Amino acid sequence: MRFNFLLFLLGLAGLVMMFAPLPVQSSPPVEREFRIEASQYAYSPGEISVNPGDTVKIHLVSTDVVHGLYVDEYGVSITADPGQTATLTFVADKPGSFRLRCNVTCGAMHPFMIGKLYVGPNLWFYRSAGLAALVILSIVFWKRSNQPTITAN
Amino acid sequence: MELTRSPRVKALLKSRYPQLVLFVLMLAGFVFAILAGFIGTPVGSHNFSIVFVWIAWWAILILVAVPFFGRGWCAVCPIPVAGDWLQRGAVLNPAPKTPKWLGLRVPAKFRNMWMQNISFTLVALFSSVILTTPVVTSVVLAAMLFLAIGLSMVFERRAFCRYLCPVGGFIGLYAQTAPIELRIKDKNVCAKCVGKPCYNGSDLGSGCPWDVFPGGLTKNTYCGLCLECLRTCPHDNIAINARPFSADLARPSAKLDEAFKAFIMLGAALIYAYVLMGSSGAAKLAAYNVFTPAWFVYAAIFLTVIFILLPGLYWLVISITPRGRGVGVREFAIASTPLIPLGLMFWVAFSLSFVLTNATYILAALSDPLGLGWNLFGTAALAWQPLLSAFIAPAQSLALVGGLAWAARTAQKTAPQAGISSAPVISYCLAVTLLMIWLLL
Amino acid sequence: MKRPELLTRLLITATLLGVVALPLWAWVSVLSNVEEPLIHASIAESGGWSPDVIQAKVGEPLHLKFTSDDVMHGFAVGQMEMQPVDIEPGKVSETTLTFTKPGIYTFFCTRWCGINHWRMRGTLEVSGEPTAPETVSPALYVTLGLNLDAPHLADAVPAEKPSAARGMGLLHQISNLPVDQSADYYRSHSPSQVFQDLSTSGLTDSQRWEVVAALWAQNTSPAALAEGGEIYAQNCAACHGETGSGNGVFADDLAARGEASMQAMSGSMDMSMQTPASFSDPQRMLGASPALLQGKILRGGMGTGMPMWGSIFTDEQIWNVIAYLYSFQFDYSK
Repeated sequence: MRFNFLLFLLGLAGLVMMFAPLPVQSSPPVEREFRIEASQYAYSPGEISVNPGDTVKIHLVSTDVVHGLYVDEYGVSITADPGQTATLTFVADKPGSFRLRCNVTCGAMHPFMIGKLYVGPNLWFYRSAGLAALVILSIVFWKRSNQPTITAN
Repeated sequence: MELTRSPRVKALLKSRYPQLVLFVLMLAGFVFAILAGFIGTPVGSHNFSIVFVWIAWWAILILVAVPFFGRGWCAVCPIPVAGDWLQRGAVLNPAPKTPKWLGLRVPAKFRNMWMQNISFTLVALFSSVILTTPVVTSVVLAAMLFLAIGLSMVFERRAFCRYLCPVGGFIGLYAQTAPIELRIKDKNVCAKCVGKPCYNGSDLGSGCPWDVFPGGLTKNTYCGLCLECLRTCPHDNIAINARPFSADLARPSAKLDEAFKAFIMLGAALIYAYVLMGSSGAAKLAAYNVFTPAWFVYAAIFLTVIFILLPGLYWLVISITPRGRGVGVREFAIASTPLIPLGLMFWVAFSLSFVLTNATYILAALSDPLGLGWNLFGTAALAWQPLLSAFIAPAQSLALVGGLAWAARTAQKTAPQAGISSAPVISYCLAVTLLMIWLLL
Repeated sequence: MKRPELLTRLLITATLLGVVALPLWAWVSVLSNVEEPLIHASIAESGGWSPDVIQAKVGEPLHLKFTSDDVMHGFAVGQMEMQPVDIEPGKVSETTLTFTKPGIYTFFCTRWCGINHWRMRGTLEVSGEPTAPETVSPALYVTLGLNLDAPHLADAVPAEKPSAARGMGLLHQISNLPVDQSADYYRSHSPSQVFQDLSTSGLTDSQRWEVVAALWAQNTSPAALAEGGEIYAQNCAACHGETGSGNGVFADDLAARGEASMQAMSGSMDMSMQTPASFSDPQRMLGASPALLQGKILRGGMGTGMPMWGSIFTDEQIWNVIAYLYSFQFDYSK
């Protein structure tokens, strides 16, 4: 009985971990400008962070060949030729971590030309880490309550 | 649950023709992929060889075939069939009593997974080039095909699959977790069986090409699901069973070559997650520009991580616990069993991040496999578009946390068999999982 | 041999032969299609255009198919009205051209594909009866006898960016200024020379510069400046910088790799890659006449990494680019 109740609590905690909105500190949305240089096969800076609700303005500067920048899940993109800075503006209204990907074939390693955009905290990272800890706790607990002889060892 | 109890399933599997049709189709696709790499566009993302091998085939292999069917891929893999046919001197007829070619036995020194560990590591060190350059992929595929044929003529059975194939090693390792198995029904029948046609061959089929006596099968690792024993067994004693996941892991293997396979796969997944899915351009250039000083540094780091750092740390966390003092090679190998489900789920999570993202290339390459401007199915102009990107992070999270849970449960079962506590094993699994989560999400 | 065995063997052999022979046949037929050749584009370091010579006949439509073997490229024919064709890696794009005049044309890459992008050029030989003999007049810098490689620096520079609008007011107020408002005068004089010519006008230094700015503005138009700006962004900004300061994305590479690569190319020790010219440097720009700039653009930098544009752009396009270059010095706002 007690065991089932604890298991229920752990399951509940897991669900909360998966779906509860994390406390995101709400700062007034501002416009954030970034100058991102694209070269074979990386963005520099490779990772940018904004707060949810911010307007993100990315100036994409290609330094060798034509590159693109596509933001996962937001679905917005731009293309920049060397010498022609392109600007992408969008409102970061989805929190989490998103990959920036080059969407103009720019050489052999093009499919792996990747950057990252963090909108607020990296939600799935924290959720996954929390779940991982919870899972270990439940498994150890489950083992102990089922086979007390092992713990006596 | 025995699947072969259904007469229809059994007839389908026993007949040589359905498998043969698949073999021929796969071989045709394989040969076309080799050809495409040589004559098609050098742009990987638009060449059939790269798109079909490294996106389509890889996705099916790691996300479906291995987790659910174990060595299911090996059952239809086209690489050994040409060698098989040469060994038998026929496509349908069974092998002659005396070998047509040299038919040597593989030296005992090589009858383990070490050659596969080395071949996988070699492919892995050059993977950034192989993965992106059609002509290199073709050379690798052709080399595998010709090596398989060559080894078939020197050695008996499928020496390439069993001892050299870079892919076969990890499929075998991870096949232990699959919910499907080929086993005998009754040990006594095998004990009384005269001639052991399942191993020695008969008019109905070849003796086990994987050099396994089905009567002694306790794990999936070395059974290639080629179904020859199903055809040759005179006593109807071979069954294909559905079973719970990870059934083979309860009785873990104590072999160091298999343990190292697990470390290699775990380490490779971690390194690829950083190099290919991360944002460091220097790492990508180092991995791609083979034989430059930067690549040698990359190779040194790669080898250190998979052969020294990960196993070394594992040994350290095990041996600092009171009961783990002085663990031997055998105990170390048994204790590393939880890394099998963990590594498999690492690869599932890693593959999710590029398979769905690049899936549109499959449709484009289907219409224009050589990049010559064809439009066979009207999808050649399809623009690259990541699919289901909102689903990737939750799916990866689920795979990694699920893999951790699976590994922890496995640790609780296997650690006592190694005479150690499961706590350090679980801690190690938790640490590498957190690292992988951090790299991928 | 039993029948099923024989049949199966035949079937397998046929399938495998088919899977090799069919694509090979299709591939060879694409390769050997002379009517509509597939032209491969790759960066200059890996060979540029292949083939790099194309034959055509006057009046006959020329079908061309392109594919890129590495990165994004583009195709256009110099001095010809046409929409540039984008060439995407692994994809095939097409265009049809019809030539009205015979001659040797230059085709070139229109999308920056690295520091040697401008080396990606090829020739289009158009044969046919010449229509009318054309008189080719030498470029203005030749008639004026300008030495393109000597420094032409301004003696004096304005304290701030001169306003063309204010200069225009002065031009209207004062009737007998010692300057000529013709295009010939503008093209053959540097701003600094005109500033000198105005020394007797009784205007202050800043007023004299404003008159110069007004003269320069008069010799162009917003439409021409827009065209010049577009050509500049697409062809010049990668080295000379989007703001004209000589700090484009390739400027550092040019300076770094310069010497070695240029020596290898020209075999001459005294030629070396230079950092790109800065158009925001007043001494340099105000000392240069449009004719001098035209010469540099037409002929190129002779081993400095500056390409020759003579076979690519029409005279009008080059004059528009030049007009745009002076906008880095003069304030053309109304």
